[in-house]
Amino acid sequence: MANISDSMSTINSLEEMADGKTIIHQFHPMVKLVITLLYIVLVVSFDPYNITGLVFFAFYPVIMMALAEIPYKPLLTRLLVALPFAFFAGVSNIIFDRDLLFLIGTVPVTTGVISFFSIMIKTVFTVMAVLILIATTSLPQISYQLLSIKVPKLIVEQIMLTYRYISVLMQEVSNMYTAYMLRSPGAKGIKMKDMGIFVGQLLLKSFDRAENIYFAMKCRGYDGHYVYAKPDPMKSADWLFLLLTAGLLLLMRFFNLSQFIGSFL
Amino acid sequence: MLEIEKLSYVYPDGHNAIREIDLKINEGESVALVGANGAGKSSLFKLIIGISDIKEGSIKIGGLPVEKKTLKEIRKKVGMVFQNPDDQLFMTKVYDDIAFGPRNELLSDEEVEERVTGALEVLGITHLRDRMPHRLSGGEKRVIAIASVLSMKPEIILFDEPTSFLDPKARRNVINTLDKLKMTKIIATHDMDMALEICDRVIIMNQGSVFADGPVEKLLLDEELLLQCSLELPLCMQKLEKLERIKIEQNRQSLFSNQI
Repeated sequence: MANISDSMSTINSLEEMADGKTIIHQFHPMVKLVITLLYIVLVVSFDPYNITGLVFFAFYPVIMMALAEIPYKPLLTRLLVALPFAFFAGVSNIIFDRDLLFLIGTVPVTTGVISFFSIMIKTVFTVMAVLILIATTSLPQISYQLLSIKVPKLIVEQIMLTYRYISVLMQEVSNMYTAYMLRSPGAKGIKMKDMGIFVGQLLLKSFDRAENIYFAMKCRGYDGHYVYAKPDPMKSADWLFLLLTAGLLLLMRFFNLSQFIGSFL
Repeated sequence: MLEIEKLSYVYPDGHNAIREIDLKINEGESVALVGANGAGKSSLFKLIIGISDIKEGSIKIGGLPVEKKTLKEIRKKVGMVFQNPDDQLFMTKVYDDIAFGPRNELLSDEEVEERVTGALEVLGITHLRDRMPHRLSGGEKRVIAIASVLSMKPEIILFDEPTSFLDPKARRNVINTLDKLKMTKIIATHDMDMALEICDRVIIMNQGSVFADGPVEKLLLDEELLLQCSLELPLCMQKLEKLERIKIEQNRQSLFSNQI
């Protein structure tokens, strides 16, 4: 029971942060979206064996979280959800990519190990960047910007509505799960033999709820077009933040900073 | 004005939900729609607002028939407050939820702001403007659901069980809120006391048809009629009856002891 309500409050708590009043929250949503996309592209574009260059990109999430006053805990909890996928994707590199690079004492470090760490670091950075975007910009604002950069309307509508329905579905799961657990003393979860009925009922119930919500939307004039939050035009401070951050990110990507700093030592 | 003529509706599974209803509701009337569970109250609402398609009979709102091509206009004229506010409120902020209808009408930002502020002020809930709907109490959600319909400036509002699942204070607040609204109201409810308090007219439904239609003071105090439709007297009247019975019993006993 606790897990479901916990995940619900995690989803909500991140969304609630988007109402903050810090300097990052006040920047134009387009600026934040472009920088996040640029950051993701630059991080992903790194050579799988170049960890030293990649490490510099840790500055971005750390500085953004500090400036936007985002607490670490909820963000890291959500980050953990993404890590197992990256872990299993990266493990195969350790097994198949076995060229020796160097030895630490007697422990051999292969190219596979380096690329494994590279995948993990890239995942952490990119997921953090997206979470920071969500925590500083509300979903209607992000959707409006996605539309303005010509992402098809159908996809944006899907994202918006799916996001809305998640909480409805979770609420339904939470209620059914509580009712199930209260009548199955000692059970650690839903038994496999009941799982089919549970999921089937959940599907039917969520159809009903979805239909009711849809009717309520129709009654208030919804005709298949979600109305998004249209922001004010970009100010000079937004442009300055965009150019500075984009410049810094590009510098970190295409200029070998570690060698540059090393040359002073 | 709402005119319903010879309206019948059968669900796809064969259930006959509405049978030959004829009704006329005038502008500014406050009407309670009562009846047992399954009497057809919700089905009637769904037909009025065009969620279910009319197959037999007709509904006209201000002379405009309810049909597929008039739905947009009809939904500007008629608003509906759902029984479960969670079905109705789905935006991240109260403001956005109340602005949802006006924005769909493609009003300018200033007009939307004016409508939302107006609705919040009428209901006295301006302090909830920037809150998140799912963090509010049941009573607050209910009032915001009303605000989200009010902001569309409808001529008629349909309320589906507006006082269910509320604590006494929240219920009182919703009743006072409803009483303040001056447009035509049709309130489907089991709360007879509320009906007695804020409605002028009551329509009693039974098995899909109109069983009785008349002034509240007359119909809601007719115990025999109510019992026939699986309903009962408003609680306040039951209390009065009980008090009277106790008084009569006490008088009888004192008379008896005096005689001894």
